[in-house]
This record gives sequence, structure tokens and C-alpha cells, in this order.
Amino acid sequence: MFRLTLRGLVAHKLRFLLTGVAVVLGVAFVSGTLVFTDTVKKTFDQLFASVYDGTDAYVRSASVVKGQFGPNQRGRIPETLLPQVRAVSGTAAAEGQIQIRRAQYLDRKGKGIGDPGQGAPTLGFNWNTVRRLNPFALVSYGGKPSRPPKAIREVVMDLGTAKAEHFGIGDTVTVSFDNAKVPKDAFKIVGVAKFGDADRPAGATVALFTLAEAQRVNATPGELDGISVAAKPGVSQTELVGQVTSSLGRRGIQVITGAKLVKEQQNQIQQNLGFFTTFLLIFAIISLFVGSFIIVNTFSIVIAQRTRELALLRALGASGRQVRSSVLGEAVLVGVLASMVGVALGLALAIGLRTVMGAFGFEVPTSDLVVKPSTFVISIVLGVVVTFASALLPARRAARIAPMAALRDSAVESRRLGRRTAIGAIIAVLGAVLLFVGLFGASNIQLVGVGVFGLFIGVAVLGPVIARPVGRALGAPLPRWRGMPGQLARENAVRNPRRTASTAAALMIGVALVGLITIFASSLKASISGQIDQAFRGDLVVVGDAGPGSSFSPAMAERIAKVPGVAVANPLRFGAFEVNGTGQFLLASRPGELNRVFDLAPKLGDLTTLQPNQIAVSKKVFDDKHWKLGQKLRTKFPEQGAAPVTIGAVFGRGQREGLSDYFISLDGFDTRFTQHADSQVYIALDRGASIKEVRPKVEAVAKDFPGAKVNDISGLKAQFETQINQILGLVFALLFLAIFIALLGIMNTLLLSIVERTREIGLLRAVGMTRRQVRTSVRWESIIVAVFGALLGLVLGIFFGWAMVTALHDEGFTQLSIPAGQLVLVVVFAALAGVLAAAYPARRASRFDVLDAISTD
Amino acid sequence: MSTPAASPRPESVAARAVNASKVYGEGEAEVRALDHISVDFASHQFTAIMGPSGSGKSTLLHCLAGLDRVTEGQVFIGDVDISASSEKQLTLIRRDRIGFVFQSFNLIPTLNAAENITLPMALAGRKPDQAWMDSIVATLRIGDRLTHRPSELSGGQQQRVAVARALVSRPDLIFADEPTGNLDSRASAEILNFMRAAVDDLGQTIVMVTHDPSAASYADRVVFLADGTIVDEMLEPSADGVLDRLKQFGG
Repeated sequence: MFRLTLRGLVAHKLRFLLTGVAVVLGVAFVSGTLVFTDTVKKTFDQLFASVYDGTDAYVRSASVVKGQFGPNQRGRIPETLLPQVRAVSGTAAAEGQIQIRRAQYLDRKGKGIGDPGQGAPTLGFNWNTVRRLNPFALVSYGGKPSRPPKAIREVVMDLGTAKAEHFGIGDTVTVSFDNAKVPKDAFKIVGVAKFGDADRPAGATVALFTLAEAQRVNATPGELDGISVAAKPGVSQTELVGQVTSSLGRRGIQVITGAKLVKEQQNQIQQNLGFFTTFLLIFAIISLFVGSFIIVNTFSIVIAQRTRELALLRALGASGRQVRSSVLGEAVLVGVLASMVGVALGLALAIGLRTVMGAFGFEVPTSDLVVKPSTFVISIVLGVVVTFASALLPARRAARIAPMAALRDSAVESRRLGRRTAIGAIIAVLGAVLLFVGLFGASNIQLVGVGVFGLFIGVAVLGPVIARPVGRALGAPLPRWRGMPGQLARENAVRNPRRTASTAAALMIGVALVGLITIFASSLKASISGQIDQAFRGDLVVVGDAGPGSSFSPAMAERIAKVPGVAVANPLRFGAFEVNGTGQFLLASRPGELNRVFDLAPKLGDLTTLQPNQIAVSKKVFDDKHWKLGQKLRTKFPEQGAAPVTIGAVFGRGQREGLSDYFISLDGFDTRFTQHADSQVYIALDRGASIKEVRPKVEAVAKDFPGAKVNDISGLKAQFETQINQILGLVFALLFLAIFIALLGIMNTLLLSIVERTREIGLLRAVGMTRRQVRTSVRWESIIVAVFGALLGLVLGIFFGWAMVTALHDEGFTQLSIPAGQLVLVVVFAALAGVLAAAYPARRASRFDVLDAISTD
Repeated sequence: MSTPAASPRPESVAARAVNASKVYGEGEAEVRALDHISVDFASHQFTAIMGPSGSGKSTLLHCLAGLDRVTEGQVFIGDVDISASSEKQLTLIRRDRIGFVFQSFNLIPTLNAAENITLPMALAGRKPDQAWMDSIVATLRIGDRLTHRPSELSGGQQQRVAVARALVSRPDLIFADEPTGNLDSRASAEILNFMRAAVDDLGQTIVMVTHDPSAASYADRVVFLADGTIVDEMLEPSADGVLDRLKQFGG
């Protein structure tokens, strides 16, 4: 039997090629994702290992505040600890560490270099005087020797920036900071440094200063982020940590080994990558899921066409079991071959992904691709299992073929649609229930996923029941519009409902997801726009290129406030802090001027007279936690540590409305955070002043602050929309793969169908159907199937979109927006895709030799 | 008894082969299916082509009907030299000027009987002459079967629908390739009587390939083929006469 399997495969190469392609693409996506993330992870692991190569112990503040969105915020330590650490017996050398929050080089035209908003960080550090603790190494450049920075206004630049921006040793460069006293300063480049083997770390720009200079520009005099310590020979990391800890003997200080520091950094990267990996793998799974429909379909059709052959085998004594094994054997072979090709293609995909990431500013250092054995195993097992599982049903059907079928004319489709309706409906309803429980009850994203999966399967099972009436209805205008070829297209599209339905179901999945994402994004835009309209009272806003993470010197707001026509220039600052041990997002501004630019919808207390030791909280949190006005909250700040504040006011628009649940006055913020930098500046104009006249003047001020951008309300909305559209574009690009696979499925089904209909096409040609009419007919058949799939998908997509947006109502999705135009466009696109998928099958059908076709048995 | 292949001048010629040859393969593998055949088929006549298998009778029919091309010589439908026609022109000639009845698989399974009958006209975007259609349907006694799909029709009914399709567009001539090959004798006789009536009463022209002497006996004229050439012909044939003649050629 096995030889027969092998023969069958070789004899029908083309037939299985397309099935194979579906598996290949899915597997390639999986293995590409795994290889890419493994490679990135290893690259960063090595990077951190080399950066902290000489560090045996690290001293830092024990005060840490969990970030609600970003990483944890840690406090600083006094510089006075440094001599103490150096005096420890096991210490060979120790040096303070400072990372400057923002140190952006300006090019000769005064424009900022690097784009923190797009992921190319602008880093600044102190130059570590201890050779083995310093990951940077000076190199001579442009024929001139480098030296470390020794005095104020001296900087060492990374080699990458020096090359890219044509700076040389001895040149003067301006660097901008987010410090009110030192918004920017000119520095003499005294040296150029490499970062390990690289010109710069992962696309970032780096500025290196003396320790004192770093403290000056960072506005943190007398403070350090941490102290890195190198051990004397023979002193282990653990011993060193013990010695330093007992020497310092202070509370609030934490000493860890160099190994642990490396591990922490590596874990952080792995966590960030984890999200990305999951994101890509979801699309890989979707592709494989779509591919499985194609596999089911191909095997079903092939078995239907081989009914006589299989029946003959049965008549000659083969058992049903042997027939089934033969089909499954074929599936395993296809699965193995396709998965192997898929893994190979995945390697190419990983390289491509790296290039794409580079284009987005996430420069990943080049290194060899990391292909773990587990990647091979996971990818191939996944590919084979999906192929095998997809072939199970067709194989069962094959095993049931009676020997008598050898004598009957052709395959007859069993018509047990009643049972099918029941099963399909049960699966669909179960899926919908899980979806609702996941969305509204348990808030469990896995349940939602399983529910969506169930609905897809349920609708696919129900597909054949509705394929005939819906296909007929879709094709209703065709006979009049396209004559006999149109009528034949319609009849052919519905003559085999099971085949039509499973072909369409593959497309349904991609379209449903596109529909869901479209509705989700559209609702998000509408909701944000609505929130801006409600909450924003000002006329202009200055935002940074790094979003809420942008930081500007407070000098900007001060200068804007002096612009004629500007009534209020109210800066906004963001900070991370903890309330009752939970990381939260804190918003700070001037309470007295707040209502000129924002409507926070005050509820209790007086927001405008909020004192520095008071905090205002949103009504939602206030009610949820049953707090009272005047109550003391257990809060903790990164630098200050635990420091309670009193609830002074309650307001209506919190995080749900796109703002923050916690508000503090600017003075209160400044006593608790050392970073006195503004993220955004909200501007209200004098009564009668025109935006048109004032805006250019504000822009003239903003020009002095790299990354600052002036917007009005519509500009602000447009900026949000652009951000959403960017993410949307990425998701659509990934979903396109699923749709592409579905198109391969349509093409595959059509090819198999026209081969099956060779005689019929021959007869039509004999009695006078032109080649063009044959092509038209195949094309419209394809369009009906594609539009059927797209409509199924659209119905599901709208349902998913509605369910999701409704479920997220309390998270700020206040408006459900169903963009009809875009959704219609999706169906039009599907129809065009149908034309594309039909191109080759139509051409082939029209080229059948009439005489061969009519004499085919 | 044999007369020259070119028949005495009838009033007009529906189809004509002039010195036509059909060669498959090359060199030693060369097979000459038709060997310099010249033959006329008169309008309003029922002609049968007979011969042993491999004699080239089907090839001749296919070449005459524009389903295949001759390698040498010419083929005319009326005055049109179809050996010089393009693929597209051939298709249109088949659609507009020729009717077909095949041995089996004559009908499109997704169309009902009525739609199958009018298929060539529908492909041309023309409406059938309803009175003519009605009279054909009545003659063939398929009026109560018009809305049925082919799978719901018996073999004889299917062939009658095929004959109706061949007749409905009033083609210049009808080619029938073993039209009774899959039928029992009663159904065969019915079909052949219809074809006879189509020529006598409706003025049609039919060229039929058959290996069945009794089928050939319905024709006005029988052309005998062997080894790709016309070896004899017979007018007003009887089944016994045809059988005797076939025996002479070792069929």
C-alpha cells in the first residue's frame, strides 16, 4: 500500500504542490519568527554579557516603583557611597553610573539627530574611568587620537554618529537635554568611541561626559544611578557583594552580582521580545489554520475524483483501513516535505524580518542566525500535525467508499446536511458563548481566541448548507449580465456546496479578521476623537516625537507663555508611582490654569486649588476603592520612596477617557521627582487671538527644542489616527498572508474542478463556446466563491468587532464605528482577488484541446 | 456496383473534403488517418459514414465538423474553407452552422433539458424561434422533460434532447458520432426515425458515423472508409446490403 501512496503522490505532483504551498507558508512563518527572535535574543544576551563583562557587583537603590505600562522606575543613590565602596577590601575598582534621560545631538542646522519616537534612542552616560567597567573603547578617528572627557563641555561621541553626521575630533557639537537650567549646551568632541565591536549600540546615538558633567546636564548633582564594582583577583562576585553590603550597611541600598545584573537585562529583553514573538506567532497560526482548510479541500476533491480507483482497490481486497492509511500516508509525506521547505524558507524570512526591523529603526546587530533544534522540531511537527489532522476527515470518507462505487458513474456527494446543520450550529453557538464569556465575564483573551476559532469552524461546517442559496443569490444577475457563461459560472459555483463552502471558508477567516481590525481601529479613532473633543479645551498643544515619553526643558513652556496672544501654556508631566503597591500613571500640571486647557469634569473638592501634598483621583477609582475625600493614600515614588498624599479632589475623566486616574500639581510633582521635564504643553489663547496668527510664533519657539511639534485639535486627532493607521498597516500586512493562502486555495479548487469537468468543457467548446467565454465562466465562478467567503467573513468580522468594542466600553471604547465604505471595499477587493486566483485555471480551461476533452473518459 | 466518391451534382453541397489528409506523428511513427480523401455531402441528405475501427471515419467527421484540422487539403462548410479558419472562427462556425450529437455525454449536467437545447444559441446570445422549438420538442416527445436535469433523464431521452439541440438553431448540417452507440435497439430506432424525419420533413442535412449496419440503413447514402480512403459508397442502403458490403472489406 505504501508504494501506492508514493506513486499517487508522484503522479499528482501539481495537485499537491498547491496543498504543499499552504503548509510551506504557515511553517515558514512559524520557523521564521522563532529563528528571528532567538537570533535577536542571543544578540542582546551577548551584548549585555559583554557590556557588564568586567562588572562583578552593582550597587543601586532598593527603592523601585512598578511601571503601569513601561519598565520599573528605580531611585538614585548618593555619590558619597562611592568612596565607601572603593574602600572595600575586595574592590579592585569602582565607578558611578549615570544614564542621562535625554542627550540628543543637534546637527549643524540645529535639528535633532536620532528619533526617539521611532525607536532610535538618544543615549547619554558618564564616561567610566575604569577600563574594565567601560563597554566603550576610544578609537582614533580622522587621523586624530581620542582621549576621555576630562572637563566640563567635553564629550566623547559614538563612532556611528561621527561617521553618519560627519563630526570629527576637535569639532564642537550641540547637545540638547530636558533640563530647565541646561536646555542645551555646546561641547567639544575630544574623542570617538566604539561600542564593543560595533560603531554604536543598536542604532542609538551616544554622548559620554565626565561624571560631574553628566550630573550637571541631568540635573542630578551628587546622585548616581548606581555603582559598578570590579573585584580583585580571587574574590568571587558573591564574596564581593557580601563585603560591599556589610560595608555600606544601609537600608534602601541593594547590592547584586554582575551575573544577576546581566540576567535581569536579558530577562527584560526577553520579555519585550516575548510580546513580539506572540504577536507574530498568532499570525503564523492563523496562516496554518487557513492552510488546513485548503488541505481538507484538496484531499476531499482528490478522493472524490479517485472514487473509482479506490473502489477498485476495495473490490480487489484492500480493507477500508488500508485505504485510509494510504491517504494518511500521503498527507504525512506532503506534510514532511512541505514543512522542510517551510523551515528553509523561514530562514530567509528571518533575515527579511531583520531588514524590516532595521528600516523601522530597531537596528539589530548582525550576527549568525540562531537555529535551535527546537525550532526545527516545533516547525516540522506543527506542519505535519496540521496536514495529518486536516486529512483525517477525507481519509475516513475514502475508507467508507464501497467496492460497488467502482461500477457507478461518478462521485455522489452525500446529502446529510441535516446532521451537518446541527453539528455546525452547536459548534458555532459554543464558540459564541465562549467568546462572550471571555469578553464580558472572565476577561480571558484565551477564551476569546478559542471562541473565535469555534465560530470559524462552526460557520465553516454550516457553510455547505447555505452555500447553494447564497451562491445562487449572488450569481442571480449573472445569466442576464454575462449570458450563458454567467449562468454556467453560477451553476458551477453551487453544484458542489461542500467544496465551495470550504474554499470560501479559508477566505472567510482572513476577511473576518480584517473586518474585526477595521472596526476596532475605526471605533478607537472615533472614541479618541470624541474624548479629545470633550476633554480638550485649549487651542494648541506641543507634543514630542517620543509620545508620552517625550521630555522637554520647562524653558519651552515658559517661553511659549510669553508669546503674545497666548493666555496659558500649561505643561503636562507624567510619572510612575505606586498606590497601595500597584504601579500607576501620574499626571501633573498647574491646577489653577488647568480648566483653561482641559475639562477633567470636576466632581468633588476643588481641583484648581490642589495643594502640593494633595492628589486628585478619578471618580471611577474613587468609587471602586470606596475612598473618601481627605483620606491619606499609601503612595510610593521612585526617588522619594513611600510618601503618603491626601485625596484633595475627585474628577470625572480618568484613564478610561484617555487621561490618567491620578492628578497632582506641578509643585507636588517637582518635590517628588527630580526629572522636571515637560512631556506636553497645552496652550489656550487670549480671547480674540487667532490660532492662525499665534501658531507660527509658538512654532518658532518649539523649533529650538528638538522633537517638539505644534498641533491644533484636528492635528492632534490626525496624529493619533496616523499612529493607529501605522499599526493597522502592519496587522493588514500580516493578515494579507492569510488571504494570500486562501487565494491559493481558490486557485487549487478551481484547477481540480476544471480537470474534473474536462469533458463538460470539451462539449461546451464543441457546441460553440469560445475560449473567452470559457475564461469568463471560470472567472465568475471564482468571483462568486470569493465574494461568498468575503461576505461570510464580513458578517463574522462585524460580529467580532461589535462584541469586542462593546466589551471594551469601560476601557474607553465609547463609540462603535462600522466603516461601511471600507468594508464594502474589502468585498470588492475579495472579488478582484477571485479574478486573480482564477487567472491560471481559466486560462488552462480555455486551452483544453476540444477533441481530447470530449474523448476523455 | 461502386460509383465514384464524388457524387453526381446535387442541388447544393453542405460540406466537402478536397484531397484531405490527416497525419499523426512523424517518420516511422507516422500514422495516416485520412489519405487524400475527396468527398461531398449534399444538402438535405442523410449520409452515413461506415468502416472498420481505425478506418478514419471518426477523424473524417471531426475534420468536417471543425473539431480537428486536416494536415493537407481543404474542408468546406458550405463555401467557407474551414481548413484556413482561425480557432475563433471555427468555434463560431460550430456554434452557428453545425449541430452535434455525440455517442455519450451530450448534455451539460448543471443545465436542464430546455437550457441544454438552446445552449448554442444562448452562447451566441440569440433567442430561439419559439414555434420551431415547440415543434421540435413535440416531435421528439420531450415536452414534459424540459425542466429536468440530464441526471433525471433516461439514456434515450438524453439523446433526444441532444438531437433537439442539434436541430433548434437550424444548422447547415448536423454531425452525429455514433448517436445510438449507448442505446438499446428500441431507443436507437426512435432516435434514427427522428433523424430520418428531420431530413425528410424539416429539410435538415445529417452526416452520421456508425458501425451499425441497421443504423446506416436509415441513411440516403452510405460512404465506406478503409485505411483512410473512401473505398465505396451505396445509395438507398438496406441493412443487409450494408452488412454484405462491410464483409467485403473485412470489417
